[in-house]
Amino acid sequence: MPLNIDFVQVLIHMLNFVILFGGLTLLLFKPITKFLNERKEYYENLEAETAQKVAEADRAKEEYERRLSAIKTDMAHLAQEQEQEMAATANAYLEKAQGKANQIIAEAEKTAKEHKAHILDSAQSDFSELVLEAAKKLIADTSTPERDRELYDEFIKATKEEN
Amino acid sequence: MKNEKNKGKRTLLIVWLILIAVLVSAIFAIGLPSGEKEETITEVMQDGVLHEENRVNLFGLIVNPAVISGFVVSGILLVTAALIRIFAIPRFTYVPGKFQTVLEKTVEFFDGLAHANSPHKPNFVGAYIFAAGTYVCFSTLFELLGLQVLTTKGTSAPLPAPLADINGAIAMGVTSYLFILGGGIVHNGVKGGLSVLKDFSLPISMSFRLFGALLSGLLVTELVYYYVSLSFVLPVVVGVLFTLLHAVIQTYVLCTLVSIFYGEAVEPPKPKEKKVKEKKIKHQKEIA
Repeated sequence: MPLNIDFVQVLIHMLNFVILFGGLTLLLFKPITKFLNERKEYYENLEAETAQKVAEADRAKEEYERRLSAIKTDMAHLAQEQEQEMAATANAYLEKAQGKANQIIAEAEKTAKEHKAHILDSAQSDFSELVLEAAKKLIADTSTPERDRELYDEFIKATKEEN
Repeated sequence: MKNEKNKGKRTLLIVWLILIAVLVSAIFAIGLPSGEKEETITEVMQDGVLHEENRVNLFGLIVNPAVISGFVVSGILLVTAALIRIFAIPRFTYVPGKFQTVLEKTVEFFDGLAHANSPHKPNFVGAYIFAAGTYVCFSTLFELLGLQVLTTKGTSAPLPAPLADINGAIAMGVTSYLFILGGGIVHNGVKGGLSVLKDFSLPISMSFRLFGALLSGLLVTELVYYYVSLSFVLPVVVGVLFTLLHAVIQTYVLCTLVSIFYGEAVEPPKPKEKKVKEKKIKHQKEIA
């Protein structure tokens, strides 16, 4: 054969390689690929579990945030209501106080008016008495111009003192 | 402290240079070998290609030394694989150590190549190219050991890379072709087999590519080692260029080719365009 090709030797080489192929496949390739697949599966499961846990945590967080938001809204409502109640109470107190103050002022004004009227009445009776006394004196004394003037001056003087 | 270190390095360098000079002068003083050898360079080269002279007796069968190389390489690989299977693989952990990483990366490389080039049926071809790649790589590196074997003539001959022998290369090419053909028939029936048979030049091209690549390394190495004057420094370069690089490159080339052709052979047949077109037209008519 050209190039010293020997088919028996070719077959021997083939046999040698086929044995090697079987041996390496069974001893190395399969066990290592099996191990690699197991490890890949393990990490994929781990990843899936982690993703699931993360999703659960996200859901829990969302639920918490939703509840927190609802609580905040409720609290805001409550605070608003409380503020309104307090404002209403304060207004009621103020109105009541204002009413009382007005009543006190009205009573005071009334009392002052009565007092003033009383004073005026008493002053008028004093004045009438003085006039009556002066008329009595006038009638009692002789009426001369000097005496009239004197009486008149006395009357004026008395009136001034009275006031 | 630094000066003392430098001094020590300088002394070591000087001693090393003197040693080289003494050895070179001793070689020249004694005299280089006259070159009288049992075989001429032509005979060595011819024997490297044809293996007509140095043959080995294997249980009564006269074979080329490459057959012995093949068995030795396979034996070493199988024993190593068995030891790894017994002692290392059961201790594999999910966080790998250095040795485990090397094994995993090697298997992942071939498995990845199979998945990339033969996405439909990657598992079996992955195992095949793992075995083929390991064999090609380690059998090429095997020639670096320079193990000797007793020839039928009673002289010793170095064990070459198994694939540097035309019979070993043909065996690898034909086995790969038969593997692809088998895959095509198993997965796609007669059509798959016929599509692989169309590439009848494949085993020849694969065989002679391997043979040529590895033989070139063998011939250059034989040439270099034949002459004593060429055996300084040069073997290091030759060893790296023609053995290490060949081992890696030929492994990659063979595995890629096998996985690509296998992928084509096992690819499920595509539906005919005519039928698809007819279906589309029918569908459009139905809609209208």
